[in-house]
Amino acid sequence: MAITGQIALTVLMGLFLVGVAAWLARVENWRSYTPVGGGATGGETAYGSDEKPAGLIRWLTTVDHKDIGLLYGAFGITAFVVGGLMVMVMRLELFDPEMTLISNTYYNSLLTSHGITMLFLFGTPIIAAFANYFVPLLIGADDMAFPRINAIAFWLLPPGALLIWAGFLPIPGVIPAQTGWTMYTPLSAGVGSGNQANAGVDLMLLGLHLTGVSATMGAINFIATIFTERGENVSWANLDIFSWTILTQSGLILFAFPLLGSAIVMLLLDRNFGTAFFINGGSPILWQHLFWFFGHPEVYILVLPPMGLVSLILPRFSGRRLFGFKFVVYSTLAIGVLSFGVWAHHMFATGIDPRLRSSFMAVSLAIAIPSAVKTFNWITTMWNGRLRLTTPMLFCIGFVQNFIIGGVTGVFLASIPVDLVLHDTYYVVGHFHYIVMGAITFAGMAGLYYWFPVFAGRMYQRRLGKIHFWLWLVGSNITFLAMILLGYGGMPRRYATYLPQFATLHQVATLGALVMFVGGLVWVYNFVVSWLEGPRVEDADPWNLKQSGLRTNEWAWFERKRETALADGGDEEALADGGDPVDEE
Amino acid sequence: MDENPGISDQYRTASPWPVFVALGIPVSEVGLLFGLFPVAVGGLVLFCGSAAGMAEEAGYVERPWGALGVFAALCLVLGLAVTLVAGQPVRGYATVAAGVLLLAGGVVGRLFVTEAQPAI
Repeated sequence: MAITGQIALTVLMGLFLVGVAAWLARVENWRSYTPVGGGATGGETAYGSDEKPAGLIRWLTTVDHKDIGLLYGAFGITAFVVGGLMVMVMRLELFDPEMTLISNTYYNSLLTSHGITMLFLFGTPIIAAFANYFVPLLIGADDMAFPRINAIAFWLLPPGALLIWAGFLPIPGVIPAQTGWTMYTPLSAGVGSGNQANAGVDLMLLGLHLTGVSATMGAINFIATIFTERGENVSWANLDIFSWTILTQSGLILFAFPLLGSAIVMLLLDRNFGTAFFINGGSPILWQHLFWFFGHPEVYILVLPPMGLVSLILPRFSGRRLFGFKFVVYSTLAIGVLSFGVWAHHMFATGIDPRLRSSFMAVSLAIAIPSAVKTFNWITTMWNGRLRLTTPMLFCIGFVQNFIIGGVTGVFLASIPVDLVLHDTYYVVGHFHYIVMGAITFAGMAGLYYWFPVFAGRMYQRRLGKIHFWLWLVGSNITFLAMILLGYGGMPRRYATYLPQFATLHQVATLGALVMFVGGLVWVYNFVVSWLEGPRVEDADPWNLKQSGLRTNEWAWFERKRETALADGGDEEALADGGDPVDEE
Repeated sequence: MDENPGISDQYRTASPWPVFVALGIPVSEVGLLFGLFPVAVGGLVLFCGSAAGMAEEAGYVERPWGALGVFAALCLVLGLAVTLVAGQPVRGYATVAAGVLLLAGGVVGRLFVTEAQPAI
């Protein structure tokens, strides 16, 4: 049997490789008549290099930063829907104290997968979507510094996602990981009487490793792009705030993600090859140190670019420039540096040396300062401004509101005595959901609505956008405030069942989740319908930014694109002959 | 020309290689971790072959065959190390086999494949 299986696998693999080779040969032949290959000897021409294949092949072979940005966006949104549906099942299960809808182990699987999906398959990719599409446009670059690396970074994500979700697929003998997204040893090392020695955990670890490789490749690319590919009129002094946050985030990724990759490899070695890093005499706490040395910067990897989005978008609808631009940049850099000195505040309850704990408490409290600097700058930008409450602006204001609640609850957690009481309760869950859903996802939505006309060439339905916002703002606050209160009451985290005394607040939290679910349906409907048949954008300045002198480079690019598209009747973008970039900023 | 030229100066907006480089990594990882010999060999060949193709396309190398040879050498050394030092024969032989296939591909390519496009 085993030999038959090996032969079948070999034949399949051989056929697959032959298929790949045949397809590559076809595509290469097809490409050979593009102007560049066909003898454009006088250097590159804009027209020659703008050739793209049609249909599905375009998306499989693209190295254009805008296409890759759209691919990242589609991937991130898909993952967000998957992660959202997972949590809806969990919240429905939690409507009732007993185990009713799903088994406890399935709940644990969903809990693990929801966290990893939202952080690694939605959060990081959706930021990469904005960054890929807009950083080159904002800084006046032709493309990313390494376009092919950019494409590889994206294409690592779908297989990564499949591996992470492999346990849910009907593969014989493979079960989903139930380790939590933090994958604490010794549980995740598969020892003991549990079932976490299963290959599903290995597959999840491999998938996570791939997403880490992807993020690292992307980060190197962004750093190289922002350093070397800026347009002649873009200096460090007038670099936009979003690119600053992407640059800082990329720096964090460069130091954090390779560490995660190494730790995952060590865990895989422990699981499969009998090494002793975390088990077999190794230290389970070592895992926590390695994981959180990555994990806390990861929080800022996820939040800094959304802060950049808010810093970019919020002033456009306040009719004013960002208040204290320099200090927002400095605070971004300060957060970036400090983020590597706070990891052990996740480990206050593990019994580490109290003197170490104090230093981490001090740095954790200190990192609140640059975060507060930003918050005050956003508020001051709006102060006495000419506010226009469009959907992206509403999401920005919602971001600020939720970030304040999420941030202040976090300051309390930074304090050792408070943390020791609240650490393993729903308070923590409420706190970080205020940040990741209430703030990060809200900023992502602000970006999606703000640039929707650029992506789609059409406008979304404004009323539906506002309905989406209000459902989410109300829903998220109901759910996450209920979680904070559950935590005060002592409800422990990560359980599928609970004592009846917590039922009411859990039901409130589920109600809030249902409100958000309806908001999500409105959002998906609005985006799909508007993308297909929304009113076409008639003006390259749909937000009237010129009027207040706040137009940024990407809108100038959008205007050039529309003009050239009208001139030659095609919808491929090309530079107008002799047209100088318009700078209104 | 730009005063600070980068890689993007030579870029075209379509390349068939990245998707296969990206696919080669998980396929070889799964194959090597679970000791699935054909999957490991196929994944490594896919990854190294696509990387060599991409190196040629990007202009880092003139033709891909030499790059295939370099990858083959790396696979052979790594495979022998995994077999002899780490004591993992299935994984080691799979890496060696990938190295042999890549070497064969490189040799065949150099000897028999003629230049398809006119020299510029």
